[in-house]
Amino acid sequence: MPSTILYGGASRGRHLLDHLVRYALIAAIVTVFAAFSAAAPTFLAPANLQSILVNNFTLLAIVAIAMTFAVSAGGIDLSVGTAIDFASFTFVSLVLAGQPVPLAVLAGIASGALVGVFNAALIAGIGISPFLATLGTLFIGRSLQQLLTNGGNPVYLPPAGVPEAFRFIGHGTVFGIPFPLVVVFLVIVGSGVALSKTRFGRVVTAIGIQTSVARYSGVAVPAHIAVTYVLTGAVAAIAGLILTSTVTVYIPSSGNAFLLNAIGATFIGTTLSPLGRPNIPGTVLGVLLLSIVANGLLLTGLNFYWQQVGTGLLIFVVLSISFINQKAKRRA
Amino acid sequence: MSQPSPQGATALALNIRGAVKHFGGARALSGASLAVRRGTVHGLVGQNGAGKSTLIKLLAGLHTLDEGVIEIEGQAQDTLTPHLAEELGIHFIHQDRLLVPTFTVGEALFLGREPRIAGTPFLDRRAMQRQAAAILDRYFGIRLPNSALIADLSTAEKQIVQITRALLHSPKILVFDEPTAALVRREADILFSLIRRLKEEGITIIYISHYLGEIEALCDTVTILRNGIDVATLAVRDTSAAAIASLMIERDIEEMFPKRTVAIGDPVLSVSRLSSPGKYHDISFTVRRGEVLGVTGLLGSGAKELLRTLFGLEPALSGEILAGGKAVRFKRPSDAVRDHLALVPEDRRGNGVALDLSVTENTTLAGLKRFTRLGFLDPARERAEVDGLIERLQVKTSGRDALLRALSGGNQQKVAIAKWLSRQSEIYLLDEPTVGVDVGSKVEIYKLIGELAERGAGVLVLSSDLAELVGITDRILVLFRGRVVKEFVSSDTSPDAVLAEATGSLEGRRHVG
Amino acid sequence: MSVDVSFTPTLGAENAAPQSRRRSWGGQAAAIALRGGSFVAFAAILLYFSLAAPFFFTLGNIGNVLGQSAILGVLAIGLTVVIIAGGSNVVTGGIDLSVAANMGFSAAVYASVIQLGYGDGPAVLASLSTGALIGAVNAFAVVVVGVVPLLATLAVMNVVAGLELVLTQNTVVPATTDFLSFLSAAGPFGLPVLAYGLLAFTAVATAVVQFTPTGLRLYATGEFPDAARAAGLPVRRLIAGSFLASGVCAGLAGILSVSYLSGSTTGAGDMLLPVVVTALLGTVFSRRLVPTITGTLLSALLVGFLVNGFQLMNISSTLVNGVQGLLIILVVSATTLLRRQEA
Repeated sequence: MPSTILYGGASRGRHLLDHLVRYALIAAIVTVFAAFSAAAPTFLAPANLQSILVNNFTLLAIVAIAMTFAVSAGGIDLSVGTAIDFASFTFVSLVLAGQPVPLAVLAGIASGALVGVFNAALIAGIGISPFLATLGTLFIGRSLQQLLTNGGNPVYLPPAGVPEAFRFIGHGTVFGIPFPLVVVFLVIVGSGVALSKTRFGRVVTAIGIQTSVARYSGVAVPAHIAVTYVLTGAVAAIAGLILTSTVTVYIPSSGNAFLLNAIGATFIGTTLSPLGRPNIPGTVLGVLLLSIVANGLLLTGLNFYWQQVGTGLLIFVVLSISFINQKAKRRA
Repeated sequence: MSQPSPQGATALALNIRGAVKHFGGARALSGASLAVRRGTVHGLVGQNGAGKSTLIKLLAGLHTLDEGVIEIEGQAQDTLTPHLAEELGIHFIHQDRLLVPTFTVGEALFLGREPRIAGTPFLDRRAMQRQAAAILDRYFGIRLPNSALIADLSTAEKQIVQITRALLHSPKILVFDEPTAALVRREADILFSLIRRLKEEGITIIYISHYLGEIEALCDTVTILRNGIDVATLAVRDTSAAAIASLMIERDIEEMFPKRTVAIGDPVLSVSRLSSPGKYHDISFTVRRGEVLGVTGLLGSGAKELLRTLFGLEPALSGEILAGGKAVRFKRPSDAVRDHLALVPEDRRGNGVALDLSVTENTTLAGLKRFTRLGFLDPARERAEVDGLIERLQVKTSGRDALLRALSGGNQQKVAIAKWLSRQSEIYLLDEPTVGVDVGSKVEIYKLIGELAERGAGVLVLSSDLAELVGITDRILVLFRGRVVKEFVSSDTSPDAVLAEATGSLEGRRHVG
Repeated sequence: MSVDVSFTPTLGAENAAPQSRRRSWGGQAAAIALRGGSFVAFAAILLYFSLAAPFFFTLGNIGNVLGQSAILGVLAIGLTVVIIAGGSNVVTGGIDLSVAANMGFSAAVYASVIQLGYGDGPAVLASLSTGALIGAVNAFAVVVVGVVPLLATLAVMNVVAGLELVLTQNTVVPATTDFLSFLSAAGPFGLPVLAYGLLAFTAVATAVVQFTPTGLRLYATGEFPDAARAAGLPVRRLIAGSFLASGVCAGLAGILSVSYLSGSTTGAGDMLLPVVVTALLGTVFSRRLVPTITGTLLSALLVGFLVNGFQLMNISSTLVNGVQGLLIILVVSATTLLRRQEA
């Protein structure tokens, strides 16, 4: 049961270690923040803070939220990148063909959801493990993109002919707030509500924590798992749309770049939660931590490539603490 | 294996005295003793929870004693480990066969002490096959294909492989834990003749079984455990299955069962001629509103499988089920739940409640629709419902948001039942509802079952605790090897009489033959 | 239904211990069909390419394919050992996501040591120790700390990929030595030395994993840890050893890649998913549908032949990815449905 490994489960959250872990992590964010402010004076500048949010945070947050849905249901989705790419490709193609942008947006999200439907058929329908099913999807998706793009050529939008509505998604502002930030805010709130305030979210959480209990309680487990993966694809697709509009180009298989950090952020969030469950606020904090570290390391003038080492170590330490904590709890 | 000396034949191979073992607050053994003479077959019986498995795990070095002494071949062993137990020649034939399914018979037999081709680091597969074939032929007179994988073997064949694995270590004491539960009769007969042969070779056998007929036919001596203590050790030829059965049962707890008077109403669940090949055959019964029907049977009796079929967990081949007057065929539990069935499964922590969900989340999971408006949860209504049920069922918890992990077994079980109350189910299937539950909670659960019936639900209780079954049910069906062999009216019977039917002690001689 | 289904039909979906279940005749036939089918498919692919591209079925071309498959093969064999010892459930069982990054870093270490003016001996040593060290970190995280392999190796992968960037500054580090030239040159019968290397390495790995008691114990540990413990096997040590072995394989693959590319280049991480798929697909080439070294070799060669055949026929070789994806879904679906029917 993947659930047993992902959720150690706290007993009332009163263990000292629990608190230490949680506060240590929040303290880590604060410390990292403070350290960078001291080391790089520009770090705290409003322009930089906005840049953290827009450049580092937005896309990863959306992808990590998509991942959080799959992980909540006790699975994982390695094909979030495929959903991003498909959405992006559909979006660009329709805009190039002169279709209205709103239609292209809907079609883009639909094609991301379609990737989710494929996963759902494999996981909920046939019963393949999510890791293998989505790995297969990722590979097939890669080849399909090669076929669609004549061997992997990027699809550029001519800078002159880009509709204003298209540019707006990536570069527009609403009351001075960048539009992508508005979108990510809506996605966070919407997903947070869906996962913690609706029946669907409750059932998915129960499935993720103990599938057999959900099944023995008369829950339609396959249907809920199916919907979860479709949702994962659709949410990831939103990131694809913003990405495409920002760079005005579709590059085949570029979505996979988010995969590992999305998984990392989701599990950092899981560790942060008092109950050890995947959750949207935790995921968002995880993304924030990764974004701050990435941006801060850049600003402090430290070698650019140390960034990845730093984030990797960070994820490693967080996971280790989380599992040591679980082990201690199981012994107690 | 050497001939036992005349003096050795009377000496004790194993002597456990005054064993006490606590788990948390619960007392699993309270001064149990077990003295096994060398070269004999010694039966060990007792109801579930009597302390058999704890005693055996102590012997295997999996638990350590709180008090008491274990002597093996006259030597006191106070630091027994699994490894040391094996060194001392104690081997166990478990219910769950610890064999790697994708291994060949030879590989499974020699894992951990593999023969090598002389002078090389390589496995001598041929020697493994040769030796495996030789030993299988010598003890069992059977041949298994060299290429057969464990997964391809029958249950009996797997058991044979496991016994053979033990024999390769020249065991002194062999412990059989419910060895025939999954065997068909012919396979069991092969096992019995083997055990007699092993005894002739001087190996001491400890034989644990619920089938008292087997104990009568196979064992020299039998020790009866009850409530963590040995209540008697008898020479089998001087006693009978009925006498053993009556020693196994607790006498003075009848006041635990609240009496009730309930009007019996219309049928809510009718089963007719239900069959599933190899599991149960031609089962028919009816449960009415306000009625508590008891079902009992040993492992392998088909009772478990019957219950699984009723809840849509496994299919039946033929027969009919009527739930609430309507013909149903459940493909999955959600179908059964839709038709108002409820299952409180035996594996509470695996299937009944989720330890890492809160009391609230567990309680409302089955009937979540009642607490949802337009897809959104209604926390106020949920709180009211859960607080009401906590109060009504006397669930001891720090609050509705506590994780189930923090509750005792009895209170977890109450939540497992509360889930269905909250769903407003009408047909309750309770599978061993009081396993691992403390006495106080037991009484409360019995009361709750009575209340369910009073409110017009139909209740089916599957239990191997016969005093409980006789105490709380109206009628009892006894299953034996897949068939209903007897129906009792609970008020006219006794646990002894039910046990005699369930263990087949009345036909035991015929069985062991 | 259950969401965690292991790759091979060994464990029951609901029970911790394998269920006793006699395989139905139909089930056995289906298993044979699956295995036979994969061999037939392999043969059909070879036959098709031989007919379509006459050059395909020549000794020289086959040698090229072997040589080109060497890096993938060595990595996949390392991963196979981890899967054998960890069990085939990819989430809770054995997986090493750090193999490709490990290879990249080991290669960078090799090239850097050469750049610093040391010889091949120290470079080989440095490269292999790097691989082993990374394997040891994985082993520590999984066995001592208790992190699930999937997540532990994911984090290690990130760190190692970062270290490679730090070391190389994201540039190509050229390295040419006599030893490297020898590796990338042609050997006896005009076949690439790398081809011989792959075959030799497979032979050694097969000998250890399929023919020694240690190998047998690895299988027991992965497939039924309780049985392994009951047999007195040092389960934790065996699992740790498998990660170490996988690390050393990655170090070795690093050396091969330095020779193949005349230096260390970036982008080793792209190898990860093909390696995972290759190792997982290899199970269909074994009688018991379990991961085996020879099965993994065949699976690697299948990929190699597909790429090569597509190239010869002027089809984009990236389609190989899609074929692999389809294959893995087909194979896993078949085994899952097979087991469901048996249960």
